[in-house]
Amino acid sequence: MTSTVTPAAASASAGADTPRRRRRPRGTWLLLLAPALAFDAVLFLTPLGKLVAASTHDHAYQRVLKDPLVSRSLLNTFEISALSTLATVVLGYLLAMVIWRRGPLARVVLFALVLLPFWTGVLVKNFAWAVLLQDNGLVNTALQGLGLTDAPLALLHDRFAVVVGMVHYLLPYAVFPIFAALAAIDDRLELAARSLGAGEASVFRRIILPLTVPGVSAAGLLVFIISTGFFITPVVLGGPGDMMIANQIDFYARQLTDFAGASALALLLTAVVSVLVAVYQRILRAGGEYEAH
Amino acid sequence: MNEQSHRNTSRRSILRAAGASALAAPLAGSLLTACSTKSTPSAKPNTTVTVTSYGGSYNDQLTKTLLKPFEKKTGVRPSLLANTSLAGLKAQVQSGDVQWDIVELTAPEYLQAVDEGLLEKLDYGVISDKGLPSYAKADYGIKYLSFLFVMAWDQKHIPDAQAPKNWEQFLDPGRYKGKRSVYAQLSDSSILEAARLAAGVPFDKIYPLDVDAALKYLAQQPGRDELIYHTANQEPIQQLTSGEVALSTSFNNRISAARKDGARLNFTARNSVVAGDYFVVPKGARNKEAAFRLLDFMSNDAAAGADFIQTTNLTLANTPALAKLPASVADSLPTSPKLADSILVRDDAWWAKNLKATEQRFKLWQAGS
Repeated sequence: MTSTVTPAAASASAGADTPRRRRRPRGTWLLLLAPALAFDAVLFLTPLGKLVAASTHDHAYQRVLKDPLVSRSLLNTFEISALSTLATVVLGYLLAMVIWRRGPLARVVLFALVLLPFWTGVLVKNFAWAVLLQDNGLVNTALQGLGLTDAPLALLHDRFAVVVGMVHYLLPYAVFPIFAALAAIDDRLELAARSLGAGEASVFRRIILPLTVPGVSAAGLLVFIISTGFFITPVVLGGPGDMMIANQIDFYARQLTDFAGASALALLLTAVVSVLVAVYQRILRAGGEYEAH
Repeated sequence: MNEQSHRNTSRRSILRAAGASALAAPLAGSLLTACSTKSTPSAKPNTTVTVTSYGGSYNDQLTKTLLKPFEKKTGVRPSLLANTSLAGLKAQVQSGDVQWDIVELTAPEYLQAVDEGLLEKLDYGVISDKGLPSYAKADYGIKYLSFLFVMAWDQKHIPDAQAPKNWEQFLDPGRYKGKRSVYAQLSDSSILEAARLAAGVPFDKIYPLDVDAALKYLAQQPGRDELIYHTANQEPIQQLTSGEVALSTSFNNRISAARKDGARLNFTARNSVVAGDYFVVPKGARNKEAAFRLLDFMSNDAAAGADFIQTTNLTLANTPALAKLPASVADSLPTSPKLADSILVRDDAWWAKNLKATEQRFKLWQAGS
């Protein structure tokens, strides 16, 4: 059928086809984007513009950057985020491995156990940890009951508690990308390795780990980015030395009523996280190429 | 063919409609806000007045003793929120979207708000100043109550006989093991004054406050690690009753309310610090008239005022109410002459000038530097 079409007809039909195909997607694309753009303009761009405007008053940037409290909470933010990310990725990896190695039914159950806390409010989880970790809480009572300690350990209101609370919140964000990377591994690779005499450790080190590196990097960056914005957890579980940048913004806005300073801080955090997101996307893209090879 | 084109047009029209409504959304939004800012009915029969305060037992007491009787008498319906803050007031006034009609502020916050022009001038034509003591009457607010910043303890762990009698004992880690809970903010907490009193500084030498010396004292007695912080006024009650701490700073009315609810807590008024809160009306408040009427009621209604004072043990700026009190209650009040020698009066002017810098300083100290 197609072989009987004359060149002129073919070019005509192609000529008719191409613009139509091009025009329709373009119009549709714009129209489909309109609601999101309008939404963004009202709820994100306008407030962001106001924030930028507010941050230019009273030398806010100079003032904020000179404040020792700010450098302190910036340092805290990166320390706590790095620590939480490390713990989350390690635990997430182990959890993803366990889930990956199980049959379909066990997988469903295990995923449900990961998702359940994912759907629970962060405040609820934090208060639960506060109750567990306090001096007369379950953890200390158990430790003393077992004779492991004779006085309550100071577990609450310090960095340890903040990291515990954050890891609990962040774990699902690490499990899913790592599990996705694991699930993409061709089963035959492992069979081939074993048939060549590779042991458990060697299979993991030489096959599974390298193939999941993109998933782990993605999980790590995602978790780190989320970590930098924590606010409630340092308040409920941390001590005064664990103030993060979000708490600093709150302090500027509510206690110092310095809205310019708070805006400047918020924009600094936005800038840092934007850079991280850009890096994250680059790594995801690199990961995609890696998997394709 | 026919069906095809029909389907196409319908899809296109749906998209167009969606696009149009999406574009209209921000317009609709601005129309709505325009309407809401324009319609400010001041004297409707069912007027409301939105009051915002500190929450917890104190809000319950306010509702029961002042707001309900006011509603009964005038028909104006008060609604009480628990999220008062100078920042909220400032944000509302600056954005021109004022939700609150009466706001409770600490004294230094009041002075700051006056400075920044955030408040409505009070109309003493509506608010009768007959019942107002002179210290309470100000151009932009009424210093409507006085409260005591006190040391409080859990009687299960510290029997009254062994309770701290002064701030030196309260802060001494050798005398009481375990942490003390302290208010994290300074705008109405007097922990720095307490540290100076503990160091033996007499009442009349506390101001101007030596912040460095106060922090140095706290770093040694009880030591930074022996302090934990509360950020809301009801929090120390929870910390004390749950056994998390045995000692805390608090306010006299909170401990009294907890005792009435059966909590085994106690406090001493000796060596406490008396401070006051203002009720103010934000600039551009929607129900200004109703707000003034409520302020008038609080300052002059003897029965409601006396009920408030007896329920809270706070001094209300309401002279007719004070006259109705039995001597036992009157003597226990922050403003009672009987307590004058053992109570430090907070210097609002010093705090208004130094609040922000000292807050920053205290926060940095808390963080360990």
